[in-house]
Amino acid sequence: MIYDVTVIGGGPAGLAAALQADKEGAKVLLIEREQRLGGILKQCIHDGFGLVTFGERLSGPEYCERFIDQILDSGVERKLLTFVTKIVKTDNGFLIYYVNRSGASHIRTKTIVLATGCRERTAKQVFIHGTRPSGIFTAGTAQHYVNLMGKMPARRCVILGSGDIGLIMARRLTLEGAEVLGVYEIKPTPSGLTRNIQQCLRDFDIPLYLSHTVTRVFGDERLTAVEVMKVDQHMQPIPGTEEIIECDSLILSVGLIPENELAESLHVPIDRKTKGPVCDQQYMTETEGVYCAGNALHVNDLVDYVTENALAAGKNSAHYEKKERVRIPVEAGSDISYVVPERLDLKEPLEHVTVYFRAAKEMKNVNLMIRIGDNVIFKKRYSVVRPPEMERLNIDFSEFSLQKNQKVEFFLEKESSEGREHE
Amino acid sequence: MSSFARKVKKIKELSPSIQVSEEKGCIVLRGEADSWDTIVKAGRLAVDRKKYYGVINDIRLKGFTQKVKLPAEQDSLYDGAKPDVLIIGGGLTGCAAARELSRYNLDIMLVEKGADVAAGQSSRNGGAVHVGINYSPSSQKNYYNHRGNAMYTKLSKELDFPFERTGHLMLIGAAWEKILIQILLLNARRLNIRGARYLTRQELLKVEPYAPSWAYGALYMPTGGFTSPYKVNVALAENAVTNGVKICLNTAVTGMETKGGKIQAVKTNRGTIYPKIVINASGVYADVIADMAGDRTFTIHPRKGTDIILDKKVGKYIRTTEVKSPITVLGNGKKLHSSERVKMIKFALSHENTSKGIAVIHTVDKNMILGPDVQEIPDREDTTTDRESTNRILTEQMKVAEKVSPADVIAYFAGVRSPTYEEDFQVRKGIFCKNILEAAGIQSPGATAAPAIGRQLAIWTVKYLRETQKVEKNPNFNPIRKGTPHLSEMSEEERNELIKKNPDYGEIVCRCEEVSKGEILDVLNSPLPVYTLDAVKRRCRPGMGRCQGGFCSPLVVQILAEARGCSVDEIKKSGKNSDILLGSTKEALK
Repeated sequence: MIYDVTVIGGGPAGLAAALQADKEGAKVLLIEREQRLGGILKQCIHDGFGLVTFGERLSGPEYCERFIDQILDSGVERKLLTFVTKIVKTDNGFLIYYVNRSGASHIRTKTIVLATGCRERTAKQVFIHGTRPSGIFTAGTAQHYVNLMGKMPARRCVILGSGDIGLIMARRLTLEGAEVLGVYEIKPTPSGLTRNIQQCLRDFDIPLYLSHTVTRVFGDERLTAVEVMKVDQHMQPIPGTEEIIECDSLILSVGLIPENELAESLHVPIDRKTKGPVCDQQYMTETEGVYCAGNALHVNDLVDYVTENALAAGKNSAHYEKKERVRIPVEAGSDISYVVPERLDLKEPLEHVTVYFRAAKEMKNVNLMIRIGDNVIFKKRYSVVRPPEMERLNIDFSEFSLQKNQKVEFFLEKESSEGREHE
Repeated sequence: MSSFARKVKKIKELSPSIQVSEEKGCIVLRGEADSWDTIVKAGRLAVDRKKYYGVINDIRLKGFTQKVKLPAEQDSLYDGAKPDVLIIGGGLTGCAAARELSRYNLDIMLVEKGADVAAGQSSRNGGAVHVGINYSPSSQKNYYNHRGNAMYTKLSKELDFPFERTGHLMLIGAAWEKILIQILLLNARRLNIRGARYLTRQELLKVEPYAPSWAYGALYMPTGGFTSPYKVNVALAENAVTNGVKICLNTAVTGMETKGGKIQAVKTNRGTIYPKIVINASGVYADVIADMAGDRTFTIHPRKGTDIILDKKVGKYIRTTEVKSPITVLGNGKKLHSSERVKMIKFALSHENTSKGIAVIHTVDKNMILGPDVQEIPDREDTTTDRESTNRILTEQMKVAEKVSPADVIAYFAGVRSPTYEEDFQVRKGIFCKNILEAAGIQSPGATAAPAIGRQLAIWTVKYLRETQKVEKNPNFNPIRKGTPHLSEMSEEERNELIKKNPDYGEIVCRCEEVSKGEILDVLNSPLPVYTLDAVKRRCRPGMGRCQGGFCSPLVVQILAEARGCSVDEIKKSGKNSDILLGSTKEALK
């Protein structure tokens, strides 16, 4: 027996991809390492999910339940509490090795959709120093304790980083009676969505300190205090600005990293900026038959975008056939931090290509330009672009008669009468 | 001028307020100083290995008092115990001694102030099993390192801990630096170290394919190896417990009663213990404990070192350990003057050169470690890390590990070494106290030497006890300790077979290190179960990986609570006050 599509990861991306591949008639296996489907949405009990997909404000569990219900009625085979240990490429597909409570085994599949999500950056990855006490948590871990276990990891806390989960946890802990002393962000602008800054911090009078970071932690057993410092424009702490804040916990929301250890084991090339696999408009990686969806591909702001891209990846994987590819690069030019997809396959449809991009910095009154060679083929005005808010475009590339050896470049340009102006 | 007068003069030049005297065969320094640097310098100046037992440096640092981290427990759990042997310290040395002694029919107690064994420098080092090529033939370091190194192969089989004898490398950057290698090779012959040889760059690349581009050649020492120091420590402790040793965690020695040059009683936070003989294996506090017994002839001056752990993704770039030779100057095209060269070689071979240098180290868990650096500090328990050290180590070592970037860092930690001013081990019988054995000044290569030190301590202990009692061999002694299985390293068939027997082995809890629930439960069913996050992490690695426990720690907390039959609130990171959870939600609102 050989599956057409094996989806690894049963969060929102994996659920959508498996469902769509099944609808397209493929024989689909969905592998999830936890006991329950839903991924990180299980612990996201706040609302705001599904505005784009369903036109409703749903909680995380409600959002994923809509997909889980469909999965249960579909032909998708499921392996829960199952951990993929190894993937081996074969002549006509892949061998996926896994373990679960029944044993260690493997299956065969023609294609793979990697929907492995992302992980949080840790205290050590942002070079926090001092002692090693208890009381330091990533925001997602704190959320697990509070929302899934009903336990308080903090009573009096400092939050480092203004990523969305950190903001959500500032509100959540406040609602549970903890004291949130402040959110400290090393960058001069917040990392989270504007709506979260308003709804999670301002509405609760929680202060946000920009251009500040936590440099040291104190406490031999449980955390007793943290040292915060102002930082300069290069994000380096400014000596003399040290301030000691007594607290029992430090919660970190300092970034998410796509989980791509399985992809790397297959030598799938990774985009240095997104930290996800380089993919084309089909969401196929540079390795034949390996697709990627959701936060494993790049970290999305909204689950709705995860679903959108995963539905497409699922559909494409179901119709996969081995053929010659002509891929040209899609590059992030000035003031763009990244563009997904990073490739266009000229042998695949180019009519409705969804492109996601992020600005490298906050800019007002700018034009997004797309250039092929010296020709600007597309221009769109934005009154404001901000790194935390991903932008999405639908572009018909078929009308530009793209050739191999060409490349597509996205860049931002300040609006002015004088053509291109770079700082 | 006598040698003593010359020393006094030099020390007075450093700081006129320091008083120097000769007492009980030691050279003693007293007074107060403004800087720790001055105190360490004075201690070094006072050293005379031939004339004195050692340096007692009691110069106080202005404004500093040692804060001793004591366990929160206060009870009488061990009050009135009368063991034959009391071992102070559950590090590698103490646990090695405990295991060796468990070959005899003795009542053996080991006290450790930490919440687990390997609480100090035994868990805070890179895990190299050293060659010892640069030691002086008469040093204790040479004696015990040589024997300890040789014991590792058999010991790792008996106790089922990881050990790889892959060899160590010292890299040189230019032809002239071969002189140092020639000198070291001569020493190797003197010390009977086998197999050491010079490698050309071509030969080096066969041993270490990712050797740095500047490496001209290398000294290759095939007897060097790697282990996991805390796994060795846990293995020794577990085997000791299996063979009858009582290990008392969270138990700190706070004082002693002595009479007629003999220890009568040892006070702890959990009651007074009345041993026949005491083994001092207390690491950074070895001089303090020796002093309680009236047997102090040395001073421990804490020396901090920081190590950086890198992701397994870059682990493949190192198979052995690479250290830049102490005379290799990188990025400096100019030719050194020959007098400078001679000076550097002399320094490299002297006692002043207290470190083997910062290295790039392969680990048995397939990570890469960079470090450790060297920092003289007053606080014996200061294991904090700082930005300057990690930045310096990274910048320096990225020249040796050229494939590494700061993004590969997953963790870093600091340990405090416990050297004496003589820079040698002090493994000896009591001089002024009849029933104490000292194992002091054990720093690098302590992990390598510990098994041999433990054996020596056991021999002396038995000899001492035989003066007054009969000491029989322990007929039930079992040298074999079976570690918990590592399923991620097994073949599909082996793994499948184990999971069929115990489905918990098929439930992965830690995704980064691929650790199953079954492996965690095994650790909790071991002879020395410790129900803390840190203890489980050390023994079977959940939380050691790149997410640093972000995903698995809530699960491990629940497994621990379930296994112990308590609430998750009671599970700690390490010590009694290292709470993880602070009660339930809604509680504060009630």
